[in-house]
Amino acid sequence: MSTALDLITRVRGVRGAMLVSADDGIVVAEQLMEGIKGSAVAALAASLAGRLRRAMEAAGTGASVFWHLQGEQGALLVVPGGKASEGAGGGAGILVVAVAEPDVNIGLVRLELLRAAEAFI
Amino acid sequence: MSLVNFTSREITCKIVYYGPGRSGKTTNLHYVYERVPETRRGRMVSLATQTDRTLFFDFLPIDLGQISGFSTRFQLYTVPGQVYYNATRRLVLQGADGVVFVGDSQARQLDENLESLQNLQSNLLEHGVDVRTVPLVMQYNKQDLPRELILTPPELDDALNFRAVPSFPADALHGTGVFETLKRISELVLKRLAAGSPAV
Amino acid sequence: MREASVRLVLVLTPAGQVLAQSGFSRAVDVMSAAALAAAIVASTAELARQLQQPPFAALSHQGPKHGFFLASFTAERGSLAVLAVYDLDVSSLGLVQLFYEQLAAELKAASPKGTVAKQVLAADFERELTDSLNTLFGR
Repeated sequence: MSTALDLITRVRGVRGAMLVSADDGIVVAEQLMEGIKGSAVAALAASLAGRLRRAMEAAGTGASVFWHLQGEQGALLVVPGGKASEGAGGGAGILVVAVAEPDVNIGLVRLELLRAAEAFI
Repeated sequence: MSLVNFTSREITCKIVYYGPGRSGKTTNLHYVYERVPETRRGRMVSLATQTDRTLFFDFLPIDLGQISGFSTRFQLYTVPGQVYYNATRRLVLQGADGVVFVGDSQARQLDENLESLQNLQSNLLEHGVDVRTVPLVMQYNKQDLPRELILTPPELDDALNFRAVPSFPADALHGTGVFETLKRISELVLKRLAAGSPAV
Repeated sequence: MREASVRLVLVLTPAGQVLAQSGFSRAVDVMSAAALAAAIVASTAELARQLQQPPFAALSHQGPKHGFFLASFTAERGSLAVLAVYDLDVSSLGLVQLFYEQLAAELKAASPKGTVAKQVLAADFERELTDSLNTLFGR
């Protein structure tokens, strides 16, 4: 687990990476810089993931494969794990979460998040 | 520990029915439950085994209404009487404001009564409480049984009531003595509260 | 608490008495919930003691729709427990834990230090008590 998180945090501008249980919002593994409250990010990201899933189902887009929330002081990037086919219904699985600087290379982080998600699920 | 909330003006007290197995503790609560108007009582919760022996406790909240502008509630608990449930018995006793000792009047149960009284004393001590300071009432249950099987209330007083606390003969199944006991312990607990002495 | 979409919350003493509540409709339901919750806290603490473990911090149960979370902490004047019931649809254990940490910190900060001055009940207390007991118990 930690090697996959290593690969994510190695990307320049990434301040932390976590695996989060999507159902109960609890940290499964984390590698975070100081000052990031992992349990809070995990709980709120999982809650958001549930709501987003419902929004996307309603919009007919299918389950989300990646989301990117850009803030002024940073960015939150998430890849919901689990195969698309089961993601929509069960909602089971893991979220791979990265917290990054605002000017991070989004494409690179996304690639590492997807790789990490594949490695686990 | 009794809870007196001066902001919401509520008083809540905990009364524990203690005694040996099958002495009629749960029966006392059942009778109270049946006789108190529905608006004045809550749900009766019984954590019992499949054979209806108390496993953890029975619980019955009752509402005494407004007293001196305080809405006053009592929480009645029973403990499991069987000897090997002592760990749970001690837990239920925690924070009790008053204790009703329900004794079994049958002559052959005298040793069980004594053992249970000693157990009450040692369990209170484990909570840092001296049995002599806790409001206590004795109830001698099953007085309806044939004379030759039971001890009389004076005999039981001699054998069990070392502190000379109020005692009541009872037949909990039919209700004799149940409310007298509850009323007396209620008075003792609330008077102690009114006097301002710190509760257990 | 609202942020965590919790349906019911109780703050209670180890003896099972309710200090604060939110979400329950009937006082008596609160009482039995509190008595049962306190019993769980007490029995898990005792179990921990017998296994020579430090007391468990929290306990969580999940059903198909609802979960409940039960945890206790030590404040200035003794320990307190919190019982929270939440919907799995709109909340999660992680969110409830997060809310609980904040609540426990606030309760610790708000709990009075030392002993409070004893307040005395009114003088007519005893007479009203006797009246009330007579009414209720009909003797």
